[in-house]
Amino acid sequence: MTRRVAVVGAGMTRFVRRALETGKELAWEASREALASCELPLDRIDAVCLTSAPDAFDGVHMKGEYLSDGAGAFGRPFIRTYVGGGSGVFTAIQAYYTVASGMADVVLAVAEEKMSSTQPHPQGAFLTIFDNILERPLGPNLLWIFALEMNRYMTVHGIDKRDIAAVAVKNKRNAADHPAALLGQADITIEDVLASETLAWPVQRLDVSPISDGAVAIVVASEEAAKQITSDPVWIQGVGWNLDTAYWTNRDLVFPDYVANAARMAYGMAGVTEPRKQIHVAEPYDPFDYKELHHLEGLLLFDKGMAPEAARDGVLDRKGDLPSCPSGGLLGVGNPIAAAGLMKIAELFWQLRGEAGARQVPGTPERGVAQAWGDLMQVGTVVVMGREGPPTTATQLETPPAATPATSLSDAEFRSATGAVEDEIGARYAWDAGVAIGRFLDGLRDGKIMGRECRNCERVLVPPRMFCERCFRGTHAWKQVEHTGEVQTFSICNVRWDMQPLDEPELPAVIAIDGSDGGFLHTLGEVDPDEIRIGMKVEAVWKPVSERTGSILDIAYFRPRQGDPRGSRSERERASASPPGEDAS
Amino acid sequence: MLEKIARPEEIRRWEGDLPVRHRYTPGVAGDAFFTALKERGVLLGSRCESCAYTYVPARLFCERCFSELSADTEVGPAGELVSFTIVFQGIEGEPLERPQTLGAVRLDGADAVLIHRVQPGEEPLEIGERVEVVIEPEPRRTGSILDIAGFRVVET
Repeated sequence: MTRRVAVVGAGMTRFVRRALETGKELAWEASREALASCELPLDRIDAVCLTSAPDAFDGVHMKGEYLSDGAGAFGRPFIRTYVGGGSGVFTAIQAYYTVASGMADVVLAVAEEKMSSTQPHPQGAFLTIFDNILERPLGPNLLWIFALEMNRYMTVHGIDKRDIAAVAVKNKRNAADHPAALLGQADITIEDVLASETLAWPVQRLDVSPISDGAVAIVVASEEAAKQITSDPVWIQGVGWNLDTAYWTNRDLVFPDYVANAARMAYGMAGVTEPRKQIHVAEPYDPFDYKELHHLEGLLLFDKGMAPEAARDGVLDRKGDLPSCPSGGLLGVGNPIAAAGLMKIAELFWQLRGEAGARQVPGTPERGVAQAWGDLMQVGTVVVMGREGPPTTATQLETPPAATPATSLSDAEFRSATGAVEDEIGARYAWDAGVAIGRFLDGLRDGKIMGRECRNCERVLVPPRMFCERCFRGTHAWKQVEHTGEVQTFSICNVRWDMQPLDEPELPAVIAIDGSDGGFLHTLGEVDPDEIRIGMKVEAVWKPVSERTGSILDIAYFRPRQGDPRGSRSERERASASPPGEDAS
Repeated sequence: MLEKIARPEEIRRWEGDLPVRHRYTPGVAGDAFFTALKERGVLLGSRCESCAYTYVPARLFCERCFSELSADTEVGPAGELVSFTIVFQGIEGEPLERPQTLGAVRLDGADAVLIHRVQPGEEPLEIGERVEVVIEPEPRRTGSILDIAGFRVVET
């Protein structure tokens, strides 16, 4: 039998572009505020859960342990986890089960991120999110994933970009009431968002949350301890997390199943049977504006494709029927990755206690849901929180957080800081293709696209793998698939990964290869960007045989299919590409 | 499932890296420590009265009790050699032309120890003996841990 668990305190630093404080110092400032908020000394903490981005991100080996003193972990059981963008919400889940299991009575959960150390742009550390062999040679940019998902979501549901921009406007306006916010802006309009620079169509600059430094901490306690600490605990009623496939191009880009699965788990635990009636305030993950809508649908709070209308009609406003991101979210408060997720838990804590001041949603909400998303764009992490009876604390409090430590450094101060050092890990890697991809690359050299057939679930997997992750058994046979396919989604990308402008836009696309299941990432060519459509039939354009090396780049790009797919190929291509069919091996 | 590799030279490998470098600024306590080192040639620590413990370099907070600290305590310049090692190989395993000695020193007034190079002396080092910090002359100091040239044995 698990024990009931409550959040009893929360604190955070300001989210700033570049903090004077070290990561340890940020973690300590947030932790101290969380403890102060419930008047607990450090010695009441039994265990510490911490989250922060992977070590390679800011080049600090064993970063969790490096940060541990700032999280109060000296002499205590300590664990650090990281599940990408889902981390901040996950560390609350981890604190929950550490207490629910009886292993600790009071846990400090801390999320810290210092993105400003990473030069020239934090995206450099994210490039290995892409498959090193099949995707990185294409020169991808993290924006591609978001732009490709957003385009398909918009196109399939016929969504107006204005309704998506309404989310960025709402959140940046909400953040104007958040003392710790980086990008609060009370007077921003939809026109401002639509007029901002197009980074990777349809993603514009103001659709995106800013990189930031910051830390957040909460105190989580067992029922017995919580009732000693506060008269107004906020209960963690349900938690859920769930992973989708590791092949992002094989996922449903229109609906986040991983969020829906995590939400069902959390709602089940919380006894929530009708989320649209029983959830009164939501903090869905909003690194991009469309993502908040995507996630609200994943949280089963709106029908598929219906959240944008709610944004347009004000349903998601602080005073709307379902306030969403009343904090200001990542788009307004900032996005220090791991910390941003835990900020959402802190916001629910304040909202459900009726302490949110200028940000308070009306109608004394009893139950809320916080959610984040991450890993290889495939994890959903969900926490349902609620209170019993009306809040007992005074409602006329200052707008939280009460204190907002963290000091922002200017560019000049960052460049000239006494004692600063520059370094790089300097590690180089050589990644083996392995069995399935090695054979796939051999096929490309020979002008064939090879898949692996799983006869159990009747799928042909491209890229191929030697085992089926659904059936968890070996795949059965190699199968050559077509050179043709259909554009599932695309983007027109104007910037490199370091956000420098490109001379010519890149045209990434997810292409469903005919005769296979799921899509695969490549680029489009021989096409006017304005002519590209989702659903467009395309065909591979192969490099000349002499230039092929057994690489994803042996396909130069995909172009619109020209009449009869076979007949339209040049002699050279016909001579160098083999027709599809069953492969004996 | 497992396929034997008959021609290892044909194993497909992709080389790559993480195209990032990092710039670390020293933070609140680090700023005080390095500014004092550069400008005054002194080492600042932080005293936590409730834990009766002095950290060096200076820190913003006590990791034991979470109290806020400041760079309020000048430590050294002399101290006790707590331990030392003599390094004969470089990072790639290559023999060093001149062995390098590293020492852990508890500077007078500090509880934490500081690691730095120990300058060679006439006599073999002994744990427990008195050493002192050697600070680079002012024009050569840049606000770096290398503004400390190292430790040397105190002549008696």
